[in-house]
Amino acid sequence: MTLGWLSLAWMLPALFGAAAMMAGARARGVALWGSGLTLSLWFVLGWTYGLEGVESLSESGPVLAWGIRYALFTDGLSWSLCGLTAFLTLLSLLSSWRLRVSAAYWACFLWLEAALMGVFLARDLFLFYVFWEATLIPMFFIIGLWGSENRRHAAMKFFLFTFFGSLFLLLGLLGLVSENHRMTGGWNWDMAALTGPDGGMGLAIFLALILGFGVKVPIVPFHAWLPDAHTEAPAAGSVMLAGVMLKMGVYGILRVAIPAFPKLAWDLLPWLGLLAAVNVIYGAICAMAQSDLKRLVAYSSVSHLGFCLLGVFSRTPEGLTGGSLQLINHGLSTGALFLLVGFLYERAHRRGLADFGDLASRAPWMTLFFSIAIFSSIGLPGLNGFVGEFMSLAGMTRVFAGLAVAGVLGVALSAAYALPAYQAVFWREPGPGSVSAQVGDLDGREKAILWALTVLMFAIGLYPKPWLEMIWSAMQGLQL
Amino acid sequence: MNSAAFPVAVLAPHLALGLGLFAALLAGMGRVGERPLRVLVVAALGAALALVWAWHRTQTGGPLIRSDEFSWLGQLLCYGGAIPLALVLSGGDISAALLLGSALGMGLLAVSGNLLMLFIGLQFMSLPGYVLVSRQGRPRSYEGAVKYFFAGGTASALFLMGLALHYADTRSLALEAGSGVLSEAGLALMGAAALFKIGCVPMHFWLPDVYESSSPELAGFFSTSMKAAGFLLLMRLVALGPDSALAGSLPALGALTMIFGAILALRQQGLQRLFAYSSISHAGNLILGVGAWAAQGARAAGAAPVFFYLAVYLLMSNGVFQFLRASSAVSRGDLRGLGQRDPSQAAAASALLLSLAGIPPTGGFLAKFLIFWELVKAGLYGALAVAGLATLVSLGYYLGLVRDMVFEEGDRLDRARQASLSRSLVWVCAAGALMLGLGPSLVSALARALGGGG
Repeated sequence: MTLGWLSLAWMLPALFGAAAMMAGARARGVALWGSGLTLSLWFVLGWTYGLEGVESLSESGPVLAWGIRYALFTDGLSWSLCGLTAFLTLLSLLSSWRLRVSAAYWACFLWLEAALMGVFLARDLFLFYVFWEATLIPMFFIIGLWGSENRRHAAMKFFLFTFFGSLFLLLGLLGLVSENHRMTGGWNWDMAALTGPDGGMGLAIFLALILGFGVKVPIVPFHAWLPDAHTEAPAAGSVMLAGVMLKMGVYGILRVAIPAFPKLAWDLLPWLGLLAAVNVIYGAICAMAQSDLKRLVAYSSVSHLGFCLLGVFSRTPEGLTGGSLQLINHGLSTGALFLLVGFLYERAHRRGLADFGDLASRAPWMTLFFSIAIFSSIGLPGLNGFVGEFMSLAGMTRVFAGLAVAGVLGVALSAAYALPAYQAVFWREPGPGSVSAQVGDLDGREKAILWALTVLMFAIGLYPKPWLEMIWSAMQGLQL
Repeated sequence: MNSAAFPVAVLAPHLALGLGLFAALLAGMGRVGERPLRVLVVAALGAALALVWAWHRTQTGGPLIRSDEFSWLGQLLCYGGAIPLALVLSGGDISAALLLGSALGMGLLAVSGNLLMLFIGLQFMSLPGYVLVSRQGRPRSYEGAVKYFFAGGTASALFLMGLALHYADTRSLALEAGSGVLSEAGLALMGAAALFKIGCVPMHFWLPDVYESSSPELAGFFSTSMKAAGFLLLMRLVALGPDSALAGSLPALGALTMIFGAILALRQQGLQRLFAYSSISHAGNLILGVGAWAAQGARAAGAAPVFFYLAVYLLMSNGVFQFLRASSAVSRGDLRGLGQRDPSQAAAASALLLSLAGIPPTGGFLAKFLIFWELVKAGLYGALAVAGLATLVSLGYYLGLVRDMVFEEGDRLDRARQASLSRSLVWVCAAGALMLGLGPSLVSALARALGGGG
């Protein structure tokens, strides 16, 4: 079995993670090299092979047992999510540069990157599941070891909830493969070639898959793990959780659930769309009630992922493409927001809305970046969030206008929770007990990190064509 | 097949173990320290393993002795599971002889071609076990030994009664299926004896007390070698009647055992008791595997998942019990802060615990996955649902222990002792459990070795 470039894309961070573990005091340098090289590899491969070309990088090893093989593939969707993973990992590491943490911290981030790359590159469903579960282990340690006060509880809750979902995913995958065996007589774990059965068995498998992926998205009411995990994780961990790990759920729905059950996903559209709309509205309403800035951003993720689902479930070209682009957008804007909240927390050791005021005059750079990120998040035209949300809602309007109305309501609500918080922290007169005085502005490293994110937000917002084409190339088989 | 010649090749491992046993007893007459005795026991087990491996292609089918794939795989598991105990064995020549005697019994059980031989093997492996427990010198060792003895005695009685019923029906002691009600009942009784040994709920009540009153390394031996032998016995019996009531009841019993063990383990504070219940839960998973195997016709090649699970569990269980010995932790509270005191041990133990919980990419996951898949193939969806639930429950304590070790802070234990060999064994077992997770191809190789395509 020869290993190709795609294998390198997940093995490189894994090996550098092991090296960082052994590097002791120099771990962070090793980790930075590892994630930098991974991002470079992603970029160089994409540049050299082009959009059509990356698909030719697919690898397929011999069958190991019962149709299970080591098989990787990529296309526009998975390649862009790999890029998001590599990019956010690098920024996460840079953002933690000053932390006094052990070598394990840096290794965990690289192992997380390796597992996430594997999830997005795997073609074989067994391999997919292994990578899917393997993401839990580094994140469990990241939350539990380096999180804030309530971290132990949050780490356990995160693991148990998401493992609960994974069990249903496993049952669904096993059911899918064995039913396929019953129909065709061969063992097949190729996610692109599997079609599910009809009837009650098909419905059961589909629902198990939706539940399995839905816990990760998270679909309300399986979201209870998210606010705690995101709030207690260290800032860089929240970036990876919200920026990349939530995307795994939607990716799984796009890659496994819908291709295997195209008709069922269409028949159940009202119900699935309803779930997505509930996500949008419920997440927004919860976010309005938060007094902790980090928790607010966490709940806003629930709402934003609802938009992605609305677009994806509509199965129209604009919905599929916009919903998937929104995955990237949310990674950028929420990543920036979590980083900014983390920088605030490093300075003042507070995160409450009431703890700050008038930061605009003390920290103009922070204010600038926060403004751009929050406007991107609520979907201001010209920034990336608008493109994704607009296309998702446009797609849903064509097939089920009522749900799209709920989505539009969600856009209004997102302004209603984000802007008052933004105003309270940056523009309002500081109240008694305000710690704004301790907050200095961003330094060069922090500004560089946020510049990188901001430039991409504008780039996607002003000229989305290349990104949309990249994703659309992977979506054509999914539309109705 | 050459049944005329005396099967030297088949019995060579047993001869090696027997010679080792005599040597240990002879050594006891002189003054021999613990270290040479350990070397002797490990050498005897190693020689037996090598001989099994060297002659594993010799197949014999005599009236009493029979050697097939199950024999040599079972022997590898039984002897291999005893090596971690042998490496740190204490208790002088008597313990050495008892351990080798028990291994010899397992070996006989593995090559039995006859119900009476199976019974002799069962007794031969069990009796030294009772004495080993009683010699532990722990506060409740005698109590544990007596409980073990009575439970084992009940199992023997059940087996003999079943054997008699089977004989009444078939007029033969050979490993052959009967047709009447009597042989069906006999098979069920003999199966109950095997389930006793395995610790299947509701025949598990002796197991936590025995494990708790043993030293950790002895508990590791009981949970791996003894259980492997028990499963070998169960599979021999199930193979006689894949459609029997015994085989039909296995999915329900396995599901019950798995969930029951997991729920009770959640409540334990004592670590040895916790891992005893954890081993009950894993036995439940294995029983499910045997049930699914029987439901698909009990073909030899289909047993690969069960043997793979036993092999992974051998590493995982011996690993955690050696970890208990090395860290001298008794209750869950003792583990707090281990991540800071001893990061390398905590890392290895975490890997073992995650493997026990069945999280990828570990061997424990692959083993559990294969059993789940067999359940799907056999159409046992109810058992599968319970098994999934039990896995979730088991995360509560496996992950809870990782949390205690790595996330919590705690004081140094004042009874910490140097046990460098155990520390290395923890590492070896953890590395092995991780390596096994990387190779689905190993499983298909195992299936091929068992005589079928992958």
